[in-house]
Amino acid sequence: MKKLIRLTVNDREYDVAVLPNQTLVDVIRYELGLTGAKKGCEMGDCGSCTVLMDGKPVNSCLVLAMQAAGRKIQTIEGIETENGLHPVQEAFVQKGAIQCGFCSSGMILTAKSLLDKNPNPTEQDIRKSLSGNLCRCTGYQHIIEAVKSVTP
Amino acid sequence: MSEYNVINSRATRLDAPAKATGKAVYIDDMTLPGMLYGALLQSPLAHARILRIDTSKACKLPGVKSVVTAKDAGLIKYGVSPARYDETLFCHDKVRYVGDEIAAVAAVDLATALEAVSLIQVDCEELPAVLDIDAAMADGAPVLHNDYPGNVCAEVHAEFGDVEAALKTCDLVRTTTFKNKRQDAAFIEPQGCLANYDLSGNLTLYSSTQVPHYVQRTLSMVLQLPIGRVRVVKPYVGGGFGIKAAANHMELAACLLSMKTGKPVKMNFTREQVFTYGRARHQFIHTMTTGVKKDGTIVALKHQCHLDGGAYSSFGIATVYYSGSLLGGPYKLPNMKYDGYRIYTNKPACGAQRGHGGVAARACWEQQLDMIAEELKMDPAEFRLKNIMVAGDVTCNDLNMSSLGMKECIEAIRDGSDWKSKKGKLPKGKGIGMACGFFVSGAGYPIYRSDTYHGTVMVKLTEDGGKALVYTASAEIGQGSDTTFAMIVAEAMGIRLEDVRLESGDTDFGVDLGAYSSRQTLMTGHAAKEAAEDVKKQVLDVLSKELNVPVSDMDIRNSFVVFKKDNVDFSGLRTRYIKEHRGWTDNPQSGPLTFTEAARIAYLAKGSIVGTGKYKPPQLGGKYKGAAVGTSPAYGCSAQVAEVTVDMETGQITVDNITDAHDCGRAINVTSVEAQMVGSVSMGLGEALFEEVKFDNKGHVINADLSEYKIPTMLDMPSVKPIIVESDEPNGPFGAKEVGEGAIMPTIPAILNAVYDAIGVRIHELPLTPERVWQAICDCQKEK
Amino acid sequence: MLLPKFDFHAPETVNEACQMLSEYGLKAKLIAGGTDLMVNMKKKILAPEQIISISQIRELDHLDVSGDRILIGAGVTVADLCESKTIAGYLPALGQGANNLGTPLIRNLATIGGNIGSARPAADLPPGLMAYGAEVVLQSKAGIRTLPLDNFFLGPGFTALQPDEILTEIRILVPPAGSGAAYVNIGIRKAQDCNLVNVASYFALDSNGIIQNARVVMGCVGPKPFRAVSAEKILIGQKPDIQLFEKAGEAASADSQPIDDFRSCATYKRSMVGVLTQRTLQQAWTRIKNQE
Repeated sequence: MKKLIRLTVNDREYDVAVLPNQTLVDVIRYELGLTGAKKGCEMGDCGSCTVLMDGKPVNSCLVLAMQAAGRKIQTIEGIETENGLHPVQEAFVQKGAIQCGFCSSGMILTAKSLLDKNPNPTEQDIRKSLSGNLCRCTGYQHIIEAVKSVTP
Repeated sequence: MSEYNVINSRATRLDAPAKATGKAVYIDDMTLPGMLYGALLQSPLAHARILRIDTSKACKLPGVKSVVTAKDAGLIKYGVSPARYDETLFCHDKVRYVGDEIAAVAAVDLATALEAVSLIQVDCEELPAVLDIDAAMADGAPVLHNDYPGNVCAEVHAEFGDVEAALKTCDLVRTTTFKNKRQDAAFIEPQGCLANYDLSGNLTLYSSTQVPHYVQRTLSMVLQLPIGRVRVVKPYVGGGFGIKAAANHMELAACLLSMKTGKPVKMNFTREQVFTYGRARHQFIHTMTTGVKKDGTIVALKHQCHLDGGAYSSFGIATVYYSGSLLGGPYKLPNMKYDGYRIYTNKPACGAQRGHGGVAARACWEQQLDMIAEELKMDPAEFRLKNIMVAGDVTCNDLNMSSLGMKECIEAIRDGSDWKSKKGKLPKGKGIGMACGFFVSGAGYPIYRSDTYHGTVMVKLTEDGGKALVYTASAEIGQGSDTTFAMIVAEAMGIRLEDVRLESGDTDFGVDLGAYSSRQTLMTGHAAKEAAEDVKKQVLDVLSKELNVPVSDMDIRNSFVVFKKDNVDFSGLRTRYIKEHRGWTDNPQSGPLTFTEAARIAYLAKGSIVGTGKYKPPQLGGKYKGAAVGTSPAYGCSAQVAEVTVDMETGQITVDNITDAHDCGRAINVTSVEAQMVGSVSMGLGEALFEEVKFDNKGHVINADLSEYKIPTMLDMPSVKPIIVESDEPNGPFGAKEVGEGAIMPTIPAILNAVYDAIGVRIHELPLTPERVWQAICDCQKEK
Repeated sequence: MLLPKFDFHAPETVNEACQMLSEYGLKAKLIAGGTDLMVNMKKKILAPEQIISISQIRELDHLDVSGDRILIGAGVTVADLCESKTIAGYLPALGQGANNLGTPLIRNLATIGGNIGSARPAADLPPGLMAYGAEVVLQSKAGIRTLPLDNFFLGPGFTALQPDEILTEIRILVPPAGSGAAYVNIGIRKAQDCNLVNVASYFALDSNGIIQNARVVMGCVGPKPFRAVSAEKILIGQKPDIQLFEKAGEAASADSQPIDDFRSCATYKRSMVGVLTQRTLQQAWTRIKNQE
């Protein structure tokens, strides 16, 4: 049976009726219409469904929607600023870090959370922090350059 | 400074902002009103005879709208090559691999569809299965397809020159056998589709495909709909790498279900289904005998190859040809003999994947060439340079290297990697290796025999002037083709990139064979350039009449009309334009005549300004059987140096860096060229070190996920130094040619050669897992 | 991809959760980070009727030093372990395991309790924990009991945890001065890998520089992580040096019970146990020397 839960997504509160076995990614994509988080594997392997939960990047395919109640969720749709693209988004655009784009939402969110914590990461910090976000197009190089180019 | 205004620069991709913000729409992001969800029933057995299919329970489940089997779908055979149409939408007599499609369901939601699938009862008689080449070729082996006894799906025998005679003249002849493993392309977006059969009898399929055109034809043929009623639209696609380059069962099933129900039907593959559908790189077993003179001149190559094809042909006919023909270059090779066999096995079909047919062959040969260079005491770079082809050379199998910066690529990586101070001088456990490769810039012929244009492009100017709208059926799948064509159009018209808008991936826009065989930049690019030039000419023709200035005295640059002679009075045109736009704040007051004004004037004179372009390669290649595979209007080429560290105790390899040079003709978007180069290295590195689709003894894929099928993570990829070597390809638009596949060719052998340099032992089987490397080190120590 | 149907509960306290467990018994599964359970449910390996979430129970989130013990709540995430100064300072081998577990995304969800409770033979945290002599606290409606982690694992996916029990805490004695430990794992790639072999080693020196206590724990080479007893015997009573570590490595290899599987063959795993045992002992020794 569906239960009403309150999800805080991108600073907006949604009252949404969900089934116990619905994952967070399915609810934000299909119930809230926030399709920026992608489903690449649904097993927590690829990172394309990454969202920030209380500021930390997680695989939203491994989170039950009900477990996310009361947590602060941020998706790719929620990081643009009044001045337009978030600096990480802008860097990805400028540095050619986006090809097919399917990993981009997750990659950008994970990079953002890294930079929020550590504004001057080394290349090894970047590689380690983003190692759970798989990309098959870029070979990662332009992504690393983009993250490096974001200045605090 | 480039002589160009738009191309040959680093442009920001048109699609990047949408993709960076999550706004770009991929197939699973789409919904249509009243949409149903589909699911497939797939065989749990590798080989079985179907005795009875009972769908009655599934049909009765509330929420189920349609259940279809071969009875509904019919038995029209399809596939990739018309010479080997060996698939039907659903199996009717036999299933031939775990995952073979038996039935499909459409229901109000996915849970109901999946439950219905579980209620379909299939009675089967299990048959013995053949799961590898040896088993499939054994005497008395079970046969998958009655039309193909011995399970030989296709064989190729070709000889150029006289190999046996040539080998007798050689000073050194060496034979090696090499084996790769079945790959998965592991694009991040699983295949998905959304079919909508409307009340007028028109079918629209939205699909995550690389080839809307071929999908359209297959749908029309199999579902028996007039092709004019079938439209295929590609939203943004999350990678394809060859696997999405043909219609799949799910697309056909979704369309059939939509036709049956009159409602839109959405279907997706799970990641597991991506693996069980397969269609990625074959397993190849190559045996090569190469003969050289003692001065290092390559004289002859005798080559035999067996491909584990899986249960159906897919692209396999082309694959078995490519794996022979792509060794014709880039070295001068007067004598080449090739015997290739593609074998049916009870596993998912293999097909085309980046570097189609050529990657394992290249890995085998480039490692063998390194071994020969060592025996000859020649530096591997010098040995390769000694034999290298140059622009204008034609291979023994009639591939015409109309441009070829291969020599320059080798020199660039040699110098860029500091090869001379490293090769042979690194400590144990450290190694450096190099390799080369090349690939077609588009297949010379369509997959079906036809005189069709390979690409048509339409450029239309907005009637109000100022913007060029480009319509192409080509497929942006992540490689950046939309931006490339917008740049080509802007350059050819003389307008700014921001004055171009582009729509692609829709069969209603024309014919384009799609994103495979690295064809779009050259072929669609040609058509785009021609359409742009057509539009430009139409505008200038009108201006010429209006201003009484010969067209040859005018040009368009940076979205302004420029006149070769001074004192051209265009004030009358400007006044007309301004009068039409009273109250507008952006009217041109002074300065040169804008393209916007010119385009508006042209429209006023002629109506909508539409330019068209088309491209079809000239007659290419030899007359021998199979000559079509491997011919191309142009060839891109690559050389790479890999540097590795091997942990001598554990066998773990770290690729420390790669120096990578590629001749892409003239680079249209420099950033995208580099992106293709580094991305190719990444895929090659994965295949070299980690990747292998594994099966149990019942034919199930046992690593059908992205944790056990291991593609490189950000920690596995080294820093890559991309060096673009430009040539001017006479057959390419603005001199451009391919980069997307040639760039993968050297990666595996460069790593193999570097690992040898590090550990002193050759490994002839992929992937180079820690265990395999450790075993090789142990075996070598035992021998000593 | 759909999950099986189940009811979901989110108790606020351990007691409440214990109450639910006693009610549902084997029909229930606990979920914390979910990184293991969710995958198993999606693969249809598990289909519990009741899911009891413990990720919101605050009393499972602590990570403190209390007297001579380090107490780690079962709900502490692996990312928390990676970032904890307590772990880095006192239990670096556990920190190494945490830093190599899954991916950064997984580490943000996965908990120490889950990594222990799922009882995978290749898990990253148990070897380090066992090397430090950790014990686990198991709570049920009936009360609390503690168990050495050595005795907790029974086989792949099987533990001494009763159906009505919750693993609530991990307790580790603060390692004495003159002790050191390390953890090393091998996979196919450099991140996001199921280990082929993993080893953690610990030893403590007496005032004369003699090894008085040693624990070598191997993963992936048996149905559960377990101790290389003969390697430990070789170490105890000796002064640490490379030759001794080599001998201990050989003994550990002999103690290991690897099987061939699709990831790797037994021969390789057995050999790697030796290499990793040596390397972890070497690292542990370096750590001891760095304390001085």
